[in-house]
Amino acid sequence: MNAAEWIRLIIGCLFILIGMVIFFTELFGVFHFKYVLNRMHAAAMGDTLGISACLLGLMVFSGLNFTTLKMFLIIVFLWFASPVSSHVLSRLEAATNDNLAAHCEIYEDVEILEQELATAANNDTEKKEASAL
Amino acid sequence: MNKELIYHPLFIFLLIVLSFMLLVCLIRAVKGPRVADRLMAVNMMGTMVMVMISVLALLLREGYLVDICLIYAMISFLSVVVISKVYIGIYEEQHHSQENAEGGNVDERG
Repeated sequence: MNAAEWIRLIIGCLFILIGMVIFFTELFGVFHFKYVLNRMHAAAMGDTLGISACLLGLMVFSGLNFTTLKMFLIIVFLWFASPVSSHVLSRLEAATNDNLAAHCEIYEDVEILEQELATAANNDTEKKEASAL
Repeated sequence: MNKELIYHPLFIFLLIVLSFMLLVCLIRAVKGPRVADRLMAVNMMGTMVMVMISVLALLLREGYLVDICLIYAMISFLSVVVISKVYIGIYEEQHHSQENAEGGNVDERG
């Protein structure tokens, strides 16, 4: 093995190590949080970032050929598919849980939330102006 | 130094670590109190199996295994979407039938 192959091995191992650390974080988060909508936050990370890092490492190992191209296609496909499946799963949870209000705040209408956020922002700016004066 | 001597044990080690993670995901799928928990765990297992198939493709030097990985990604995405939609439909159907039954009882009493 010459120097270039050693460098390739080290870079690939680095990417795969990052991917494994992200998978471990994902598993830790899934067992640490108490509710599905919180767990989903941890689980969606491994779907995109974890598999991207792992497959990038494998792409570095495999070199320039069609296998690399197909692996890149998998990454691109998962970037589109993972948010959609997370969205559908959270809709499932929101539609079937009768006791959703015990776990998170629920707004009847989006406009109420927007008004609250606007008033909060106004209060913040007023406070900043008062402290500046 | 031979290339195989480094890559082969590395890939085997990766496969072992990934299979342990798969087992932990399975525990989550069995424990999960709600349906969304189980579906999410199955989705995570799909992601890890995709990495395992890609590692196998490099280990066995068979490029077509990555095609299988791509198809696996598509089917796993499809299964999550379809099962969620079906479960929402079933839940709403049960809910409506319960409400109808209660309404019917009230009418009889009236």
